[in-house]
Amino acid sequence: MTDHADIQAPGLKLGERPPAVPESLERMAGAAIMALLCLITFANVVVRYFTNISFAFTEEFSVALMVVGALVGTGAAFATDRHIRLTFLVERLPVAKQRLLEMAVLACCLGLFALLTWLAALYVWDEYRFEVMSPGLGIPQWRYTVALPVCSLLICLRILGRMVRVWRTVSA
Amino acid sequence: MVVEGSIILLGGFFAMLFLGMPLGVALGIAGMAVIALAKLGIMAFPTNVWTGIAKYPLLALPVFIVAGMMFEKSGVAERLVRFAEACIGNRRGGLAIVAVIVCMILGGISGSGPADAAAVAAVLAPAMLKQGYPRPYIASLTAAAGSTAILIPPSIAFIVYSVLVPGVSLNALFLGGLVPGVLAGLSLLAPAIWLAKRGGFGAPSPDDVRPPLWRTFKEAIWGLLAPIVILGGMRSGVFTPTEAAVVAVFYGLFVGLVIYRTLDARKIYEVLAQSAEISAVVMIIIALASVFAHAGSTVGSFDAAAKFLIGFTANETVMLLAITVILLIAGMLIDGVSIFLVFLPILLPIAKTYGWDLTWFGIIMTMNIAIGQFTPPMAVNLMVTCKVSGCTMESTVPWVLWFVMSMLAALLLVTFVPEIALFLPRRLGDL
Repeated sequence: MTDHADIQAPGLKLGERPPAVPESLERMAGAAIMALLCLITFANVVVRYFTNISFAFTEEFSVALMVVGALVGTGAAFATDRHIRLTFLVERLPVAKQRLLEMAVLACCLGLFALLTWLAALYVWDEYRFEVMSPGLGIPQWRYTVALPVCSLLICLRILGRMVRVWRTVSA
Repeated sequence: MVVEGSIILLGGFFAMLFLGMPLGVALGIAGMAVIALAKLGIMAFPTNVWTGIAKYPLLALPVFIVAGMMFEKSGVAERLVRFAEACIGNRRGGLAIVAVIVCMILGGISGSGPADAAAVAAVLAPAMLKQGYPRPYIASLTAAAGSTAILIPPSIAFIVYSVLVPGVSLNALFLGGLVPGVLAGLSLLAPAIWLAKRGGFGAPSPDDVRPPLWRTFKEAIWGLLAPIVILGGMRSGVFTPTEAAVVAVFYGLFVGLVIYRTLDARKIYEVLAQSAEISAVVMIIIALASVFAHAGSTVGSFDAAAKFLIGFTANETVMLLAITVILLIAGMLIDGVSIFLVFLPILLPIAKTYGWDLTWFGIIMTMNIAIGQFTPPMAVNLMVTCKVSGCTMESTVPWVLWFVMSMLAALLLVTFVPEIALFLPRRLGDL
């Protein structure tokens, strides 16, 4: 009883194959980001406690890192069907119907994140054009926000991958 | 536009939710549909997704998740159980009392109910089965006791609430949740012992030896100190919540590596990777919910829905009870953090109309959610403990209802005597 992801969301049992690109890639990235977040925050506490120096202005970096971690993990959760969702009613349908419904659900997810990718790209382009600077470190803001369209595109690929795998169980 | 917008927003959201759409996506699509139809400016989508989670106070969420997981993987639950057994001694229902107490202490380290419940159920189920406790009883009790984790600080639910409700301090919420959380936990003891007496189980066998008090204490003290480090650090003003969380992470790492010697590189990696995944799943919902919230508040849906509800009754007590019922039902269906995201925009205007204290309101909402976490059919905690103790969720119904009712009594007490929650933060100057 150690698998927390199972605790959070057991997912539907549609019998699709595991992802061809293993989600351990995202897991590694996520673990690295978590470690980095903890180290930066802890270093900040220690340094401030023993000296008068504060590098709290780096918090915008931590925050951006956290957002990247959230987006990367979102992709992995799509690949392995671990998003929080209400499956209580859907599970009562016959499996064939569940698979078709899942295709529709995934198509909606794909639509939303495709739209996000496109609009986020425009958003970053605006920040680049108008040379928006970050409030803390004074570096171009687009260097942070560019993570949004890029990660969102990766999420789209993860959703597409799962659609292909679920579709194979439908046609099989 | 208010009416059509509200129907699309709320109706569309619930329709998608019941069809199994991931919660965040359902919020995002409903929000975007309204933004597009009402021509609110489509660039609100990326803006709100980014600003919805790019917030410093939210950093406490992933870090507290890491802290809780670090302690759990270091085996603190087993040691706390042994110490609690030594304190309680061999008596009928003794292990049930141990389960409740250890859940509450673990709740002071981690902020998530299912993790807490699973850890205690896994450690205690074998011993409890040996003493004749029925499996559904074990699942019900640990699920109920584990739900106090989101009330007893630190709490993921409070972090999210304080990020969503401007002007409510996380320190005040954490302190305010302490007494109601303990009260909720203690309320479980009476039905737990009574059920054991009625069923004639839970008596220790004569050859059970009581673990030695001093030795178990020396092992458990490292875990017992963790809630003090976390709360004490925040209280003394030395740490922000995020910093308290990170100190807890490194304290847990130290205990696991040096004292208990239970952690290794592999386990630490697992802690980090799993925390990353859990945080991501929660945070994407927060991000997409802010699109939903933007659409709803700009079109005026939330105010309209609040007015609609207030239109039913001008009576404050009736309204409070109605909110309790709504939240309980919602709590049976979706998880706690999501309830805040969906219901807060509607409930906040109501709370403001009546001039309710928003710290107290957050605490009773969270208490409601805690009860929902172990009320069948869609109870996250119960799902986990049923898996651990090997029974079906249906079989727990005759047992778990007693625990639901007793915690409900505690909830009503805090609802009608707000000072139970508020006196501590008031005394310590956080309110």
